[in-house]
Amino acid sequence: MVEKKEIEHLADLVKVDLNEPEKYIKQVEQILNYFNKLDHVEFHSDDTLGIQIAKDDLRDDVNVPYQDSLIEHLKKDQNNFIRAPKMV
Amino acid sequence: MNLGISATEFVSQVKEGTISVEEFVAKTLERIDKVDKKIHAFITVDSQNALDKAKAIDKKIKSKEKTGVCFGMPISIKDNICTAGLKTTCASKMLENFVAPYDATVTSQLKSEDAIIIGKVNLDEFAMGSTTEFSSFGPTRNPWNTEYVPGGSSGGSGASVAALECLASLGSDTGGSVRSPASFCSVVGLKPTYGLISRYGLVSYANSIEQIGPVAKTVEDVAFLLNIISGHDPHDNTTAKNPKIDYVKDLATGISGKKIGIISQMTGDGVDKEVASATNTAISKLQDLGAQCVPISLDAVEHSIAAYYTIAAAEASSNLSRYDNLRYGFDFGTEGYEFKAFISKARSNFGPEVIRRMLLGAFVLSAGYYGKYYLKAQKVRTMIKAQLDEAFKKVDYLISPTMPVLPFKVGEKIDDPLKLYLTDINTVTANLSGIPAISVPFAMSSSGLPIGIQLFANSFKEKELLQVAHALQGTTTLPEITP
Repeated sequence: MVEKKEIEHLADLVKVDLNEPEKYIKQVEQILNYFNKLDHVEFHSDDTLGIQIAKDDLRDDVNVPYQDSLIEHLKKDQNNFIRAPKMV
Repeated sequence: MNLGISATEFVSQVKEGTISVEEFVAKTLERIDKVDKKIHAFITVDSQNALDKAKAIDKKIKSKEKTGVCFGMPISIKDNICTAGLKTTCASKMLENFVAPYDATVTSQLKSEDAIIIGKVNLDEFAMGSTTEFSSFGPTRNPWNTEYVPGGSSGGSGASVAALECLASLGSDTGGSVRSPASFCSVVGLKPTYGLISRYGLVSYANSIEQIGPVAKTVEDVAFLLNIISGHDPHDNTTAKNPKIDYVKDLATGISGKKIGIISQMTGDGVDKEVASATNTAISKLQDLGAQCVPISLDAVEHSIAAYYTIAAAEASSNLSRYDNLRYGFDFGTEGYEFKAFISKARSNFGPEVIRRMLLGAFVLSAGYYGKYYLKAQKVRTMIKAQLDEAFKKVDYLISPTMPVLPFKVGEKIDDPLKLYLTDINTVTANLSGIPAISVPFAMSSSGLPIGIQLFANSFKEKELLQVAHALQGTTTLPEITP
């Protein structure tokens, strides 16, 4: 059973305001109940898939300067500083 | 001029000089203008640029300059794949005016082969959905019957090809998003092996399972596109460094002596009667061509939907955290806002499915539930891969219907997310395991709705997969869409 409080807390963590909390709570609960199927799986192995990348395949650790086009969309003030809202 | 020709046929007609690129592109744009009010496959149409490019390519051909292999073929691109200078909205209000500063690798590969990007096509917001109804800009409709969904999330790709609004399209497939619209719109759609095609410039949704895939009218066309867009990319270190393969060559090799496994879990209960009967017909046609078909059981498939949605939501939840209204988002200032209120105000424009996945993802990853959901989902994934590895020791290919159901009406399942999720039962296995799968249009239901058949092969066996798909394609003649 998923508590309303839990979903509201999660919404707070992912920073969304739920305009119809009851509807989301019901749907998320229904979907999680379905996910509970995973409790009935009999596993013969604890392995999980992973991708191994050889050290040689990593790029060289060198500074690649960014292009101005990449920061065009950021909110900036007149001194070209990026503006964020107040944290506290 | 016949807009219903295949991409391959287009190339040979342009080479022969029987059609000009400009004329074809102009006719295609006229077609979009005429039918897209009803279909709504496109979010952006790049008319002027397409015509300019067409003229330039005609000129190149005339002066016998070297021309790229696409010869000005009009192609649509799903709107979650970046195109420099052209909006990439992900069908989300969050990115309504976003213009990517660079081309995705697949976009530049197509451009360098003289393909014309005619426009960007609709999808479920951030590719989260199976019907294209969750687009913030309104649903795409099935060209075969506009009351029905085109499948999704690459519904714009499937519909634009089926409705003759372009010759081919690129979609992305996270849990069936290329194959579902291919099946519902009666076109061919391939989800390649994880790592065959670069994801650089594909807006991330669930990085560990998604791939870009081609959608086209024929298997030949899909093979042709795969030749252009597959291969290693230094910008995406999950791409494999395999030698380049020519997928078009030997396409008509045939399947005599091949073994095909019929997946019991995807062909039994819950499959629509007409879909089941089409699947049986497809199996017997393949047998007539000399293949041996045997039933095969993959019991992990029963847990695949729960595992898939757990993993996809978890990855979606972290990927969506970048939409904070600082890097991407709406243009309103930060003044007067406290941190959380500022971000949540921007996120209030996310649609319902995106919010559901953020909540689900955060839930399955949270401290108390990680072991119960996420870790088990990852173990199911390993189990599916192990069972497939066993299966491919016995057979060359696997077969199932692409979708267990016929296309359904717009709005029919929109309020029941779980019911929608369950329609992905036959497609998610390929994503969780990384193997390639293709949907081939095979039949029409008594009500005139398309039915697609899905074929799977082992990782990086696209060449063989396209051969069996080509063989199956040759066993059926399907109606053409009324222009």
